[in-house]
Formats: sequence, structure tokens, C-alpha cells
Amino acid sequence: MKKKKSFTIMLATLMACTLTLSACGGNKDNSASSGGSSEKPVELIWYTIGAPQKDTDLVIAEVNKYTKEKINATVKMKMIDYGDYSQKMQVMAASGEPMDILFTSSWAFDYVQNARKGAFTPIDDLLTKEGKGITETLDSAFLEGSKVDGKNYGVPANKELPALEAWRFNKELLEKYNLDISEVKSLESVEPLLKTIKENEPNVTPFAISKDYMPLMPFDYLIEKMPMAVKLDTTDYKVVNLLETPELKASLATMHKYYKAGYVSPEAATTTSTDDLMKTGKWLMDRASTQPLADNQWSASYGYPVVSTPAGDSIVFNWSVMGSMQAISANSKYPEKAMEFLNLLNTDKYLRNLLDSGIEKVHYEKIGENMMKNLPDSKNYDIPTFSIGNVLLTYLNEGDPENKWDEFKTFNDAGKNAPLLGFNFDTSKITNEIAAVQNVKEEFWSSLMTGTVDPDVYLPKALEKLKAAGLDKIMAEAQTQVDAWVATKK
Amino acid sequence: MIGGFLKNLFKNKVMLLMVLPGTLWFLFFAYLPMLGTIIAFKQYRYSRDGFLASIVQSKWVGFDNFKFLFSTNDAYVITRNTLLYNVAFITLGLILSVILAVVLSEIANKKLAKVYQTGMFLPYFLSWVVVGYFAFSFLSMDRGMLNQITGWFGMDPIQWYSDPKYWPYFLVLIFLWKAVGYNSVVYLAAIMGIDRSLYEAAMIDGASKWQQIRSITIPMLKPIITIMTLLAIGKIFYADFGLFYQVPRDSGTLYSVTNVIDTYVYRGLKTTGEIGMSTAAGLYQSVVGFVLVMTSNYIVRKVDKDSALF
Repeated sequence: MKKKKSFTIMLATLMACTLTLSACGGNKDNSASSGGSSEKPVELIWYTIGAPQKDTDLVIAEVNKYTKEKINATVKMKMIDYGDYSQKMQVMAASGEPMDILFTSSWAFDYVQNARKGAFTPIDDLLTKEGKGITETLDSAFLEGSKVDGKNYGVPANKELPALEAWRFNKELLEKYNLDISEVKSLESVEPLLKTIKENEPNVTPFAISKDYMPLMPFDYLIEKMPMAVKLDTTDYKVVNLLETPELKASLATMHKYYKAGYVSPEAATTTSTDDLMKTGKWLMDRASTQPLADNQWSASYGYPVVSTPAGDSIVFNWSVMGSMQAISANSKYPEKAMEFLNLLNTDKYLRNLLDSGIEKVHYEKIGENMMKNLPDSKNYDIPTFSIGNVLLTYLNEGDPENKWDEFKTFNDAGKNAPLLGFNFDTSKITNEIAAVQNVKEEFWSSLMTGTVDPDVYLPKALEKLKAAGLDKIMAEAQTQVDAWVATKK
Repeated sequence: MIGGFLKNLFKNKVMLLMVLPGTLWFLFFAYLPMLGTIIAFKQYRYSRDGFLASIVQSKWVGFDNFKFLFSTNDAYVITRNTLLYNVAFITLGLILSVILAVVLSEIANKKLAKVYQTGMFLPYFLSWVVVGYFAFSFLSMDRGMLNQITGWFGMDPIQWYSDPKYWPYFLVLIFLWKAVGYNSVVYLAAIMGIDRSLYEAAMIDGASKWQQIRSITIPMLKPIITIMTLLAIGKIFYADFGLFYQVPRDSGTLYSVTNVIDTYVYRGLKTTGEIGMSTAAGLYQSVVGFVLVMTSNYIVRKVDKDSALF
């Protein structure tokens, strides 16, 4: 009898264990009704991008002291590294993991798509009440440009608004061979520089590109890195196939010429990153998106001087507006509190800098009214400044000019609006075609764009396959949507 | 009736207790998630009330999610690649593993045999990303070892990563290098279990080593060979993502010989992230695998009842 009892107990324990386990997923309202009253502070769960930091808990404890007092809320910040962010968040959003605030953008955990799938709470009403400070400080172009089907789902970080591509140069090599970059602008114009380096420096890669490279084209893409596009100076909003345009053909011919001349790495089409070239300094030029004072940043992070010159015009695209946002999760129990917190984060200088640089005298010290210097411990708390909120509130780094944020404002004002700014392509009717076209695109894209293959041979092949995969149907759907959107704008 | 059941339960309690963790594991990680396959027939949208509500509230779309697998002529390429590579992996892997196991069992110096075995075993534990870089150090156009060696003989460097004709051999070779050592352990264990007296009797009768292997080792291995092969056939529609994505460095020009179902699904869905479509692809692979296992098991049972799985 005794034996039997112990077995039953064990079985019961096991059952209990599994029940608790299965219950973990489904608990919804364990502490629901404590929202409004001033008794118990609300805890907001916050997922954001970047490598997890050693001192996060330390800093967040300090943050919570402050926010508890100000808005009766605390936060629990969880960081997920760049490479994992999209995938992990996708799973968490799909499975209904409890969360309140989350980072989203055009390049990680796609904002438009997830807004459409219902991952975020619409914040238009919240912005007029709890988020007033945000609407006051933020350039209105940000909120206007990040609307999805007429609604706002995320708070964009106040930062550089337009996208500007620049040619970057390794200054040491420029000086050694006395090269002039004042005349450089188009892809063709860099050829003499590349040639000089190729002839004199056999160990240097003149033009550093990876498989993500594509020539800068005067088009606004419906989906980034997919061939459906509208010309930047369009008046009739005609959706064209990028691969059929004479502009691209010419650029690809140039790239192929550069490839054959050995100006780019022979493995460019399969190289995922040019970091090793940047580290060793064995490169002459590449292309990167820039912002005010970017040269200083690059030079500081590489440890040798880098100079740049614009490669195109400064343009406000959908994706540049949506470069960094914080959204409120659809399943958040406290959307109002979450908005209050975001409002504070984007307007309160103390909170913003605490979250960005850590605790004063531990992670940084102030060396002026608005200027700071990192202390050695700052390596334990180093989070991406652009990702969590208003960048213009952060203290200047040692060596930054006093007017840094004014330069950002000038930079933002100078940007021209892209034709499709505010339009978001809805792909839900053509997901099958997108999947098929995506596969064909990947097959040809990198080798064409890096100049690895002859465009005269491969461009027609790619076009034929893309059409077979349904590109025309996507373009037709895109045209319908663009036309409808243009009609509502007038 | 119920009393009888309880009595039965009590009588076998030790056995049942032993099987309990496994049962629970299967229940929670294999059977429960199976309900999720209905996502394959839905356009999955998030609901604020959690996962189950999302499933229930999402719109039914029938077989729409499966279309992208069959809609283009890539469908033929990926199916062909997945099947042919797996057939090559299964047959060559089997032959080499068995040969290796027999050779290892015949090495007189047991210490040396262990060293060889460990050496063969090691690649199995490497991640495909690491293997991909190994391969790159051989095949890189400007710095690769292979091009340097061919250069000594005055040959022009070859762009390995843009020429599809070499890759079927590379992929099979790399796969075998990684998998054979591990699989041979299974066969080695089976050989160790063969009754030694059979060999002694054979030796007294004057059988050569070759005759012993052919008439004792191989026939004794037959059941385990059949089981291992049947299990492998069940996975014939799954391709090793790492092998086909990392090792060829995702080079577009090689897709005609490296694109398999798993990489196709990944590439097609990474922009739209439609969970319904990836579930559909997974379901399709499982169903085909299931059908293949059932038929091959049926055939095995017809031929030799004792070797069949069930």
C-alpha cells in the first residue's frame, strides 16, 4: 500500500508540473485591474535591439526609480542582438508573448508588415493624449511618413530624416597618391582613382563591396531591393521594372567593367561583409549612407581617417523615416502607460541620457553643460543611441561641435520627399508571386549588381525568369495600389 | 472494465513510469504542436488575445498557402535537387558507413581503431557555418588552396562559387565527410554485438576474411541497415539547410544545383514572413515523408517481414 501511495504522489507531482508548464503560455490577466490608481506601479516589458549589456539591470534600476516617481511605471528592458532580432520578435509576436513596447523599423522586424498583421496597437489617440510631448518635438514628417493605411503604429526616433548616400574614402591612400575627390559623384567618375590604386597597390581592394551592394539608382522602390520601382522625378507614378531601365543597364555595364578590371573583390557576390577590409584599412573606397559629421564617427571607429563625398541627393524615403521606431504591442495591457513612458523618453533629457549612456560617474562623466566623456565602465553599457528615442536630446560626445544637433536639423530640412513617401505596398494578395520572384531575384541579383556576371547575357535571363515567376502580376497590383493612393492625395 | 485497467496499470507501474517522460515529451513536443498544422490553411494574423485566439480568428484560405511551392518552374528544380541529393546521401552514406564500420572492427590494434574512429567522428560536431568556411578556404577564387594548387600546374584559376557543374560533387563529398563517421558508429556497435563464435566456426572451416564479412557480418547487419535506411527515407523531402545554404555561400549562380525545398522556402518567405506559408511547406514535407516511409516499409515487409519497422 505504501508503495502505491508514493507512486500516486509522484504521478500527481508530474501532472502538476506539466500543468504549470502548459499554464505558463496562457496566463492573461494576473494583475489586471491595477492600471489607473496610484497604488501599484505598472511594469512595462520592453524589447529593443542591440547586444545585451552587462550593466543593463543596474541602469534600469536607476531608470525605474525615476519613472516610478514621474509616471508610476517601471520598465523591464530586454535586448536582442541585431542578427536575431527580426526572427525572435516575429515568433514572439505570433505566439502572443506578453510585451508592451518593442523596437521596429524598416530593416529589422519590419514595421509595415507587422503593423498590417496586427502586431501593434494603433497610437493615434494615445499620441493626442499621453504622447503630446512627442508630437511637439518630433519633425512632423516622421509621423506623417510612418503612417500605415492612415494610422500610426510606432513612435519614430527623432534623428536624421532623409537618406543620403556617400562615397567613403580611405584618406591615407588618397593622400599617398594625391587623388582628388572633389569631382567625384557618379559611379563612372571614380574610375581614374580605382585605376591608380589597382596599378600601385596590389594588396588593396580598390572598391569594397559585399553581396548587398547595388548601384545607386534614381528610383523609389516599392519593396527595398526588389525590382519594382518608381522614378524619383516621376510625374505619372508609373511603376517600372528596374531591370528594364537603361539607367540600370548602364550602371551594370560599368560594374562589370570594374569587376573585370579587378577593382572589386572576385568573391564580391558571395561576401557578406566588408568588415575585414575596414579593419585592415586595405581599401580605397566604398559607398555608405551618411549623416552630419559621419566622417568623424567613421574615423573614430576605424582608427584611421575616412573622408566622404555625396554620391546622390538627400531624399526622404519611407524606409529612412521608419529607420528606428518604438511601437506598443497589440497585446499590451497598459497602452496608455506605455505611451506615457515613450513620451517621457522622447522629451526628458535626464531619462534619455540615462538610458543611452548609463549612470553618471559610473559609465560617463560630464565635461560641460551638454557634453560628456565615456568612462572605462561604459563598455558594460553600450546601447545603440538611435534605437530607443529622440537622438537630439543626447549629450554631445567629447570632440563633437557645439552645433551638432543644429546640423541635423539643417540636414533634415534639406531632404526632398521621395514620390512614394507615405505609400505602403500591401502584398497580401500576391504573397505567392512575391515568394517566387524573391527566389529568382536572389538567384541573379548579387552577381549582376556586383558586376560578377556579364549583364548582356544575364540580364535577359533574369528578366525572363522573373516574368515567369509572376513579376508582371506584382507590378500590375502595385500600379493599381499606387494609382489609388495618388488619387486620394489629390 | 475500469478496475481491470487500473489493475493492469498497477501491475506495470515500473515500466509505465519509465515510459512516462518519453510519453510526455512526445505529447508536448510532437503531438500537441500538430494541431498547429491548421495554420497552413489560414492567413495567420495576430490577435491581441494571444496565440490560440490568433489561430481561431485568422481567415481560412484553403490551399492558397501551398501554391508558391508549385507555381513556378523552380518547383521542379527544388524537388529534383532535394530528392536526388538525398538519394545520393542515403545510398553512398550507407555504403561508406558500413565499409568504414567493417574496416574499423577488423583493425587489430584497438587503441589505434579508437583514434581513427574519433577522427572520423569529429566533423559531425562542426556547425555548417564552420564547414562553410573550411570549404571557402579551399575554394576561394583568389586565396583558395585549390586554385593555388592548380596554379602550380599552370591552370587558370576557377571561379568555384559561380560554376554549378562542380557543386553536386562538392556537396555530396562534404556531406559524406561530415556524416559517415557518425553513422558508422551505429554499424560498428551492431558488429560488436555479433556472436564471436560464428566467426570462430567460420575460421575453423577455413573461411577467408572476405568470406566472413560477406557471409556473417553483412547478413547480421541487414536488419539495422534496413531500419536506418527506412528512417532516412522518411526525411527524404527535408534538406539540410546549412549544407545547401552556408556551404555554397548562398551564391545565386549556383542555385540550379543548390536550391532545395528548405532554402527555397527560406528565401521566398524572408521578406513577407507569412507563417501560414512556411507551415504549409513543412506540412507538405511531412506528408510526403510519411507516405514514403509507409510505402517503403510495406515493401520491406513483403520481402522480409522481420526487417520491417512495424
